[in-house]
Amino acid sequence: MAEVRIVTTPIAIEPLQHYVATTACGAVCLFVGQTRNHSRGRSVRFLEYDAYIPMAERELLRVAETAEARWNCRVAIAHRIGRVEVGEASVAIAVGAAHRAEAFEACRYCIDTLKQDVPIWKREMYAEGACWIEGDRVVGSS
Amino acid sequence: MTPEHTALQRPMGAHMPVSGGLHTSLIAGKAIGCTAVQLFTANPRQWQNAPLSGDAVRAFREAQEATGVRFVCAHASYLINLAAANEVLERSRDAFRAELERARQLEIPWVVVHPGAHAGQREDDAMAHLIESLQRILEETDAQHNPVGIALETTAGQGSTLGWRFEQIGAVLQALGKHPRLGACMDTCHIFAAGYDLRDAASYAATMAAFDAHIGIEHLKVIHANDSKKPLGSRVDRHAHIGAGEIGAQGFVPLLQDARLASVPVLLETPEARKMHAINLQRLRCLADGQPLEVQVTVLFFGHYRDYYPAPCVLMVPYGATVRELAEQLAAQDVRLSDLLQYCRFAMDTEYVTPDSALVSDCELAVLPPVSGG
Repeated sequence: MAEVRIVTTPIAIEPLQHYVATTACGAVCLFVGQTRNHSRGRSVRFLEYDAYIPMAERELLRVAETAEARWNCRVAIAHRIGRVEVGEASVAIAVGAAHRAEAFEACRYCIDTLKQDVPIWKREMYAEGACWIEGDRVVGSS
Repeated sequence: MTPEHTALQRPMGAHMPVSGGLHTSLIAGKAIGCTAVQLFTANPRQWQNAPLSGDAVRAFREAQEATGVRFVCAHASYLINLAAANEVLERSRDAFRAELERARQLEIPWVVVHPGAHAGQREDDAMAHLIESLQRILEETDAQHNPVGIALETTAGQGSTLGWRFEQIGAVLQALGKHPRLGACMDTCHIFAAGYDLRDAASYAATMAAFDAHIGIEHLKVIHANDSKKPLGSRVDRHAHIGAGEIGAQGFVPLLQDARLASVPVLLETPEARKMHAINLQRLRCLADGQPLEVQVTVLFFGHYRDYYPAPCVLMVPYGATVRELAEQLAAQDVRLSDLLQYCRFAMDTEYVTPDSALVSDCELAVLPPVSGG
């Protein structure tokens, strides 16, 4: 049973790890995506994440359940939205599996698919102005 | 529409798939707003089917109780030909006995069956076989106190099928003394393909007058509402989405508003059940209520589009309009939205959809530029 969550406060990583680490696990793989202080040569003050929340929850669950079925593992994902300071976690994925190969592969699949399909967007906030990030495109605004 | 109003309306719904167990047809039907459901109680393309398990029967009855679906009917196997001449005849009779027995166990009041095909016999001989089959089976099941009714379905007249003329169905009913467990099912696509027009008040009145004269409106137990891909009189049976065929959306209005049929259940048998049954059902309800065929769509914008449209936009679009047409409408209103189809993906009620998907009434359509989570 996968566990996914969209949160507005700092992500608590340990509960995710505990959730997936059953006694049948020989490996727990943890991925944490965190916000950088620079992007494309510009200094980033903080990020704002926006989501189409009901759909993002469904898509996250779909990603996690697909990984669970394909690699016979247990998955927990948390994604943060709203203001995220530099150096804080924006996403955390924990995968528990019998062996490390499945754990790594499932974890990789989750973050790659999340970045492809889950309707969440980030906005980089600079000293002067801000930009939406849309896939590979940077779209200027205010 | 008030709940009271809905409750007074005729049962309306669709033929629902049964993957996951017979009871899932009711649950899935309820989820898309069906108050009537038709199903296959066994694989319609094989002769032999295992008897229903006690668990399956229980699950079905519980699901009917829980969902409140008011009308259920079964559709018999496509293999059954009660008018056949050869060894198929006895197999068909046995398979149809099994259909009636499964319906009895499930407490389904009607089994819809095609009258069969002459397949090279003289038509009179085929009709005689059909009548004899029904007579025997009705007698047997009467003796067993099986209350399940048999609804003979009008056909398109494709190949050597019987039942495409109302006279043929009427003759069977007559021959069996208008047995109370015998009735008719009228399929709009089939009768249209067979040459009975219903697209306007005058042609509909003529068609129903013929139906009443030969079969009798009081014997009409089930209506299959399907548009037709093929023209009037083509005698080719190809179902189309409501409003997307030769009958056309307005072509269903006289039928749906006919007070004489107000209590006869209406069921869809249109393609792409999962995606389109909900839409076709809404179309029927809309037409029955005489409402304009428009749907309200709430459009949500994300990414940089949110800077232009922070709040949802509510738009009216014609019934059956696709996501693509809505995107074109938006582009025409605001040049900043001219690249939506090239640049964005779309989700209807939180599921990704293609630009060719038809918009569902009262849906939420999200415009999703490339994502950047993580």
